[in-house]
Amino acid sequence: MIKLELPVVKFSQDQKDFRATIRSFLQNERLAGTFESKCDSWLSGDSIEFSRKLGQKGWIGMTWPQEYGGGERSAIERYILTEELLAAGAPVAAHWFADRQTGPLFLKYGSEEQKQFFLPQIAKGECFFSIGLSEPNAGSDLAAIRTKAERTDGGWLINGSKIWTSGAHISHYMIVLCRTSPYDQNQRHAGMSQLIVDMKEKGVTVRPIQFLTGEHHFNEVFFENVFVPDNRLIGTEGNGWKQGMAELAYERSGPERILSTYPLLEEMIHILRENEDEAGLKETIALLPDLWTLRNMSMGVAKYLEEGQDVNMIAALVKDLGTVFETNVAEKARLIISRIPSMSSNDRLSRLMAQSILHGPGFTLRGGTTEILRGIVAKGVVAQ
Amino acid sequence: MSESYELIMDSTNKIFKHYCTKELLDRAENGHWPQELWDVLAEAGIISIGFSEQAGGVGGDYIDAYNILKLAGKYGVPVPLAETLIGKWLFAEVGGQVGDIPLTLALQNDSNFSFVDEGDGYTLGGSASAVPWARYMEQILICGDLNGKQVAALVPLAHAEIREENNIAAEPRDSVIFSQVKIDGLTVYQVDSVLISEKSLYYLALAKAAMMAGAAERVMELSLFYANERQQFGRSLHRFQGIQHHIASLAGETVACITAVNTAVQALQDGQYKTEIPLAKMKVSAASGKIAMAAHQLHGAIGMTYEHSLHHLTRRLWSWRDESGNESYWGSVLAKSLIEKNSPTLWEVLTDEQNLLIVD
Ligand SMILES: Cc1cc2nc3c(=O)[nH]c(=O)nc-3n(C[C@H](O)[C@H](O)[C@H](O)COP(=O)(O)OP(=O)(O)OC[C@H]3O[C@@H](n4cnc5c(N)ncnc54)[C@H](O)[C@@H]3O)c2cc1C
Repeated sequence: MIKLELPVVKFSQDQKDFRATIRSFLQNERLAGTFESKCDSWLSGDSIEFSRKLGQKGWIGMTWPQEYGGGERSAIERYILTEELLAAGAPVAAHWFADRQTGPLFLKYGSEEQKQFFLPQIAKGECFFSIGLSEPNAGSDLAAIRTKAERTDGGWLINGSKIWTSGAHISHYMIVLCRTSPYDQNQRHAGMSQLIVDMKEKGVTVRPIQFLTGEHHFNEVFFENVFVPDNRLIGTEGNGWKQGMAELAYERSGPERILSTYPLLEEMIHILRENEDEAGLKETIALLPDLWTLRNMSMGVAKYLEEGQDVNMIAALVKDLGTVFETNVAEKARLIISRIPSMSSNDRLSRLMAQSILHGPGFTLRGGTTEILRGIVAKGVVAQ
Repeated sequence: MSESYELIMDSTNKIFKHYCTKELLDRAENGHWPQELWDVLAEAGIISIGFSEQAGGVGGDYIDAYNILKLAGKYGVPVPLAETLIGKWLFAEVGGQVGDIPLTLALQNDSNFSFVDEGDGYTLGGSASAVPWARYMEQILICGDLNGKQVAALVPLAHAEIREENNIAAEPRDSVIFSQVKIDGLTVYQVDSVLISEKSLYYLALAKAAMMAGAAERVMELSLFYANERQQFGRSLHRFQGIQHHIASLAGETVACITAVNTAVQALQDGQYKTEIPLAKMKVSAASGKIAMAAHQLHGAIGMTYEHSLHHLTRRLWSWRDESGNESYWGSVLAKSLIEKNSPTLWEVLTDEQNLLIVD
């Protein structure tokens, strides 16, 4: 049983130094024009070169064992890294899912061969993954998925489709949650498995879905008799639901559920200070108590996760509060500094505002909608 | 509301419904000017509402005009209907005349236009930003300085440099720059520039509020449709309590927007709008963010796609709430007027009934 209390994280001198290193790296990259700070950069900022660079620095898979290309650093150090990257609005989308959840999934459930094959490539920033859960008729109700894999000589044949798959068009592999036994109304969570699909395999078709900004972030992916060899099943056949649920804790509690609009907040403060706008600063600063609290909560969850605690409920709670905060920043910004938000403006603030507003609805949908999360929280609290 | 109100609304609705399809809105966003739609609106007299027949209009009043704008918001009509109507009214007030071609305007106090009389014409310098639809327009209504006097003129845009910019609904909001160009045969009209720029701002703010109320109505319709059609966990979405809360909040905010707009339009028709229009714009702007969020939440990922039509409305809500003054802008206007006014209480301002309290 987990209490509604989270551990308080304190940083060691080493960790502080590490933060300084990351910060100066990012500062140099920005000055060199490698990237432009963007809101929601873990969805919309994909740069293969930037991911490679992070890989070379040992900043992907940094908590993983060294024998698999990892850095054996702590979860808190990884937290520092990810929050610095997001606060800077750096283009981290390409490797994000592999670093955040696929790596840990392999470490927990993967075979030795899988770990040796995939983890070093991921850590180098050369191998990207996408997450194939949602289907046209299975959104919140994920157990309604119909994509199926049937036995064939030496492996499986997948048929079906996934939708809203972020980054499918730039990923090398997708972790596909599918049915390896027929759907059973009375045991909806049984008979699912996680398969690693090579996106270059015959029968895989990726169709872009235009995001409401007009940009390309997510996709529909079709599988037509796609062959997956036996050694590409993760963990145990039929255990896909449970394995997938374990991933969600990584997915839900991280700094990306708090900082998607942080670059906007930063730019606002910058402008208000330049203008010596005291009233505006005062209003903006009213956002800080939420941010400070959420950040501490999120770090507490990271700590619990590392200790192997069950954080399902508390991660849902943090994501709910965090994503509401993210949208709140965009809503407050427009009242404090009047600009016409525009994706194509020459003015940085207008662009950051436009990104925050237009990406906003997605914050409270992806990774489990607010309504579903509140259900989890309510149930979790009642059960305690 | 004019006698022919029902008739006008009915035919306007039919035209919008027929022409303003998702395909047209998509194309308009991508650089297409819907001339055919404009011609039909002109033909039907919709761009001349608010003018008596003697003045070349089709009659009708502010109530008619703003209800048409409400419909325009509902259908996301991609032409400068509000700008043309308001430009025509204001220009007529100073003695000018406009035909049936669309126009845009930049009458705000802070634009820095200045004219120099050259005998056979004028030299014009100055610029304005975020001018609606300028790239497609032939003329712009501006006011500026002429030898220390304030004048208004309807100026051909052929003489201007246009820098294309868009709001987040991909509606043109261009910069218009006149670099000391000589314009022959221009007529200028002497005006009270404070008054005309103030009127333009208030009228446009109410236009945006009306359009947002219309868009909110459509967002509500789309949401109800989807909550009924989409099934999860074996049931329609509207069966879930969480979704019912969204629907309830959408309904509440939409009704509130419509009420705010209708009240302010009536006030304008009655000739007093200094408090009502700011309050309506503030209310509708604040509600529009909530409406957009609730509708997107209810729609799930499908609403985040370009293919679905929800974004054509929500992006307009998000754009328009900041145009012609957002909540903070009008909030400070009201705050200032509260300070300046001869000490009426807030309640007196709200009810606009301060005289009732004077007992003799
Ligand atoms: C930007 C973005 C990126 C995404 N990336 C990925 C990805 O990489 N991989 C992937 O697999 N998926 C991805 N998704 C999909 C995401 O996981 C789904 O959008 C989410 O699970 C909701 O499903 P849905 O969109 O079908 O909405 P629905 O499930 O149809 O829900 C619509 C509305 O109904 C509500 N609702 C549903 N059931 C209930 C209930 N029982 N009680 C109360 N309310 C309910 C929901 O909360 C929501 O408000 C992404 C989505 C977005 C927006």
